[in-house]
Amino acid sequence: MNGALTDRLKAIFRDIETDDVRDGRLTVLAPAASVLSVLRLLRSDGYGYLQLISCVDWIDDGQLEVVYVLSRYLDGEGGIGGGPIRVVLKTRVPRTNASLPTAIEIYPIAEPYEREVHELFGVRFEGHPRLTPLFLEREYEIPPFRKDFDTRQYVEDVFGSVPAVGEESQDS
Amino acid sequence: MRELELYFGPQHLGMVGNFSITLKVEGDRIVKADANPGYLHRGFEKLMELRSWIKNFPMVCRMNVVEPDSMEMIYSMGVEKLAGIQVPERAQFIRSIYLELARVGSHLFGLWAYANMLGFDTVAQWAMYHRDLVLDLFEELTGGRVYHIYIWPGGVRRDFPDGFEDRIVSTLHSIGGCVPDYDNAFFNNRLFRERAKGVGTVTREDAVAMGGTGQVIRATGMEYDIRKVDPYAAYDRVPWDVHTRTEGDAYSRIWVVRDEMIESVHMIFKLLDAMPKGDVYNRIPNPFKWRIPEGDAYVRCESSRGELGLYIVSDGGDKPHRAHFRTPSYPHGLTVLEQALVGESIADVGNIMISLYVVAPEIDR
Amino acid sequence: MDRNQLVKWLEAPAKMAHKYSLHAVYFCTGCGIIEVPPTITARWDAERFGVLPTATPRHANLFLITGYVSVKTLRAIVRTYEQMPEPKFSVGFGSCPINGGMYWDSYNTIKHLDRYIPIDGWIAGCMPRPEAIFIAVTHLWTLIEKDMADGYKRYREHYDEYRANQERVLGKLEWPPLFPMRKDQ
Repeated sequence: MNGALTDRLKAIFRDIETDDVRDGRLTVLAPAASVLSVLRLLRSDGYGYLQLISCVDWIDDGQLEVVYVLSRYLDGEGGIGGGPIRVVLKTRVPRTNASLPTAIEIYPIAEPYEREVHELFGVRFEGHPRLTPLFLEREYEIPPFRKDFDTRQYVEDVFGSVPAVGEESQDS
Repeated sequence: MRELELYFGPQHLGMVGNFSITLKVEGDRIVKADANPGYLHRGFEKLMELRSWIKNFPMVCRMNVVEPDSMEMIYSMGVEKLAGIQVPERAQFIRSIYLELARVGSHLFGLWAYANMLGFDTVAQWAMYHRDLVLDLFEELTGGRVYHIYIWPGGVRRDFPDGFEDRIVSTLHSIGGCVPDYDNAFFNNRLFRERAKGVGTVTREDAVAMGGTGQVIRATGMEYDIRKVDPYAAYDRVPWDVHTRTEGDAYSRIWVVRDEMIESVHMIFKLLDAMPKGDVYNRIPNPFKWRIPEGDAYVRCESSRGELGLYIVSDGGDKPHRAHFRTPSYPHGLTVLEQALVGESIADVGNIMISLYVVAPEIDR
Repeated sequence: MDRNQLVKWLEAPAKMAHKYSLHAVYFCTGCGIIEVPPTITARWDAERFGVLPTATPRHANLFLITGYVSVKTLRAIVRTYEQMPEPKFSVGFGSCPINGGMYWDSYNTIKHLDRYIPIDGWIAGCMPRPEAIFIAVTHLWTLIEKDMADGYKRYREHYDEYRANQERVLGKLEWPPLFPMRKDQ
């Protein structure tokens, strides 16, 4: 039963890698071009709950890894039951010109997660209706969550250089 | 009729927490709502990458200010899963009791906010007073009223002091004895029913599509509680029920909160009876030289607002490579809120926001 | 009422009225908001000190900046502070406004709040207890008594420095200057 999903994925998609199911979790590594098709398959298989879209910066490899964590609410809730409770789908994009298609048609909840990944890591999601800043107010040359953004240097440059008020006019 | 753009901004009496909603209204009806988070963004997850594993513990609890204990728990669970640390049995029971007390405190805070929003000031004062009694218990156990830093990987920091269990029982009895007063004054009150029935309805399909958890999904009839679905700590050692309602409006959500509070109190009594003796923590490696093997993990727990998850990645070093918190207020405050507000009146914005239990620092981290 | 107070009430009634009715504007700026509801409700009752929350800054004379201040919040704080009528007093609550606190290396929080708006006093702690808020209120009474709580006067005198600091962090401000700016020589 646990192997059924893995076999189906391997049969349909030639270019993905999967591990065995460990601890109720299946990890799938897919190239960026097949991400939407894998998501569609998993959605029709009952994994209707997108828990998280996250991004990890592997600066030594020069790649950003976008991670989709999928699950389902209760066993038997919509779709084929059984199989691992969680599927973690990982894909890698290059750090320069990182871009992926948006997953909003498949999972409507993807909208704020993709907006956040775009803002903090600089990954473009093609087809997203509202890719405006979510949290940040200022402009940053390097997206702040990337590993090459030195936050302590930034703090010194921007906030440490603000002078205290009334220092010059102490002798007035 | 003309359309107006209003800022239900951060400085507003109806806003608990630093959050802003841009409303487009026609008369009194809301046509479109845009959530505007970011007032509390600290770049938490970036700061966590600069501090070692043990130094992150005092930081993590400050992510959510209303119930910091669930944040400590989820970070401990993540680190324990990555590092393969076991937790002794007594510590699991203590963790469950501690988290249930935090849940009671957090729901009382939500009841203060909600009752104030509807104008029931007396009930709000009672709720805040009873939450203070729970905070007194926390202060005796950990030394701090709000930020406790009590759970760490391998167990909890110290055992219960002498006689603490009796004090827990007497405090909970004094709070529980006031439940008939709460019911008369608020929950069975006709004014609450008229203000909250049919307001902010979230159907089950919408909640499932938008990733709603916690009381948002339990008020639509689904018995989805991580403590039952994916048990952690000592939640599978005692019998307890999940409470649901069916309509999915603000009235059902607040009733689910009330039933959960009472269930938590009963659960604490059962856990206290069943708690074994023993150690309360397993030793962790030297925290200055602690390296966790490579890997990634996704853990989840049930906080008072819904499903709280953590995706944590280690590259074999002494600092986390990436820690991403999946907080329950993120979908509730950003997509569910925008959908639930359409068609409602301006006076109900605070009503709906607090019934969804959106806590702003969780969204921005 | 003891006899010393009676003399003070007759000599300077406005100052005594300012002291004993510090109405705080209701703005939950940060973490510290978790200790404000216990302070203003029945157990720790701040109303016996004269402290009440108000809905709008136009009715308030105390601004309690509770917790860390991010850049977006600073914009709202400056607008709220400028809308309050004088005399007004502002108190930084928690260790984060003092020097950045725990988020000293965060790219989105400001580090020293008194470079952007004037602060009359600080309350240290993370979180400060309700009793710490009451001690701060009594200290503020002493400062008002001795005419040392002059944050609003400093704002008027050094307005161009404050505004320059605000513009450094927030960019071009969309509201006009509150006081006439001194022309540079």
